[in-house]
Amino acid sequence: MILVVACVVGVCAGLFGVGGGVLLVPLLVLLLGFDQHTAQGTSLVALVPPTGLLAFINYAGAGEVRWVAGLLIMPGVVLGGLYGSRLAQKMAPAQMRRVFAGILFALGLWQVLQVWFTRHA
Amino acid sequence: MWYAEVILLGLVVGVLVGLMGIGGGVVLVPAMVYLLHMDQHVAQGTSLFLQLPPLGLAALLVYWRKKQVDLPAGAICALGFLFGGFFGSKIAIRMDSRDLRGAFGIFIMVAAVLLWRKSRPRAAAGKIDA
Repeated sequence: MILVVACVVGVCAGLFGVGGGVLLVPLLVLLLGFDQHTAQGTSLVALVPPTGLLAFINYAGAGEVRWVAGLLIMPGVVLGGLYGSRLAQKMAPAQMRRVFAGILFALGLWQVLQVWFTRHA
Repeated sequence: MWYAEVILLGLVVGVLVGLMGIGGGVVLVPAMVYLLHMDQHVAQGTSLFLQLPPLGLAALLVYWRKKQVDLPAGAICALGFLFGGFFGSKIAIRMDSRDLRGAFGIFIMVAAVLLWRKSRPRAAAGKIDA
């Protein structure tokens, strides 16, 4: 069951250039009954090995990588991640998650609408 | 200044990584498209590139100390990500950049709905029965 979930999430990860945690965390909670904090910790484990490697090689082969920007973003993610995980331990993140979900939804809607309108322009 | 903007972006995304237990790509990709004006394909490739090193490791240790980690489940998920990612990226590279951007928008809307839903059930015990 976990492997099936992981493979589906993996296809999305390669398709959209994301790590997959954003889909894995809710699915672990909803389908497999994980506790919220454990789901987040487990998702981080799954992201420690370079799981995007095969997908990355495909993008790099197609010349779709901006190397300098990628390198500059790395240190911030490490430091920010440390701070964020401490913050998560201190709070019941239900509200934070909803704010995040709201922002994410709006972002997605914006992208879809933009593509729609440029097509019909 | 471009450099400062990019470094700051990494910091903000990093806080979300630790807070939500996610990889960060879901925020990084749209941010790179809109703030750094990258093409959708390039943003996704760059997102995958910068996630190659274990950037969430420091965040993981914090969860680990609280025993909030299921190691075998995490390992299985990593395997699925590796091979799933291979096929997903093959599909993406063949797609038109605008179609891909629209599909990405739908993807994060679905993720947002899932994130919203899981905060409803008040699981008091927090037992893993998988």
